[in-house]
Amino acid sequence: MNQINPLQIGALLVVLIAFLFFKLHGVKAELVEANASYKMSEKLAVEVSSLKSVYANKKKTKNAINRILAQGSLKTAALDVKRNKKSIKISSKSIETKALNSLMGKILNGSYNVTNLKIKRLSETKASLEMEIQW
Amino acid sequence: MNFKHSSTALFLDPSSTATVEYEKGEKLNIILSPSLYWVKKIVLPVKSVREAKKLLESIFEDSLPEGHYSYTAYKSGDEFLVFAYEDKKILSLLNAKNINMVDVRSIHFAQNEFNSLEGAVKINATQSMYLKDEVLVLAPSAWISESRELDLGSMELSKHTIKLQQFGHIVDNKSLYRVGAILVILALILMVEIFVASSKKDAVVALQDEVFSKYKLQSTMFQNRSTKSKYKNIHKTQTKLRQYISYFLTMKLKKMQKITLIEYKNKILYVTLSGASKGHERSITSQLDSKGVKYKVSYGDASMKVEMKI
Repeated sequence: MNQINPLQIGALLVVLIAFLFFKLHGVKAELVEANASYKMSEKLAVEVSSLKSVYANKKKTKNAINRILAQGSLKTAALDVKRNKKSIKISSKSIETKALNSLMGKILNGSYNVTNLKIKRLSETKASLEMEIQW
Repeated sequence: MNFKHSSTALFLDPSSTATVEYEKGEKLNIILSPSLYWVKKIVLPVKSVREAKKLLESIFEDSLPEGHYSYTAYKSGDEFLVFAYEDKKILSLLNAKNINMVDVRSIHFAQNEFNSLEGAVKINATQSMYLKDEVLVLAPSAWISESRELDLGSMELSKHTIKLQQFGHIVDNKSLYRVGAILVILALILMVEIFVASSKKDAVVALQDEVFSKYKLQSTMFQNRSTKSKYKNIHKTQTKLRQYISYFLTMKLKKMQKITLIEYKNKILYVTLSGASKGHERSITSQLDSKGVKYKVSYGDASMKVEMKI
């Protein structure tokens, strides 16, 4: 007929509650951490995505440069264009300054990764050009 | 002999001086002497024992000495036998007699076990008990002419037993249940909170996975940070390159000064200007200085070459 001391049951409940508080604190800390990690991932994702869409979008960059080169002012410029997997090289031994201004205006005002550039003045109206754009 | 017992039945009386002896592991059925409880035989306006138990505290109110009592009731024909007893007092007596509660199988009131007692029986050196109006009462043995010795040997015990509240004197039941209920509710609330927080965390982790697939990110944050750093550097370099070129293209040059070469390779920008020999370059460098551009200058034949790290 021995009975359990109610104070022991009370103590057990108190221990259980202390454990639950500890567990809750841990889960809440994990939640805060997960939230922070989610926000950080989202911010990083948006940044990486927008940077990649500007500098690593091969198709977009190629099409944009093709459109620039197809312009009337550059058609007569006799530009030498070499395309490969990672880049496009545009060169001219002698280009009118007007055409050069038009081309460089579009390239420098756009978001292209210009890795090499050489513009040399030949005369008042002529220049030579070497340029490489990567993606 | 005040303590008479069979193999298992034991009569417990506070005035007894006899020592209790029982074999280890033997289970005892305790019969409480009338001096260990208060009893009334009454008619109550209720039908069941359960309903009667609710009235017990008020029935004994004002008729009991100060103490912490437990109550119980049994039906006896149309009437009820109602009992009040002090758990602590009985427990103390059991302890004083070296009876361990583990060895106690059941506890009975003498009232229920001797309800067909004929005559009187001695329960200790000075007292006897007998039935008066169906209630077992105590009287000094000296008042009773014929009183025989108590014999529990052939006794069959009733099913009316009580359970002693071993810790009832520490905390009363109501307070105990109240505190227990609060603690249990608190524990449940905490469990629910843990569940909710855990579910929220899982939802956030799932959202994060969605972000990874939506933006086609690489599997680790380290790889993604590295990619971001790579493209951010490209962006920084390209912005700076355009900025420096624009400084030269918008620069106020003297009549004879002309830009003859703009060259960018390996993250270094070179600009060559003719008509800007040493000593005449001040108008150019001051404009670069005002923009905060870091540069190196070298000179050739009537020309200067400006070198800038992008």
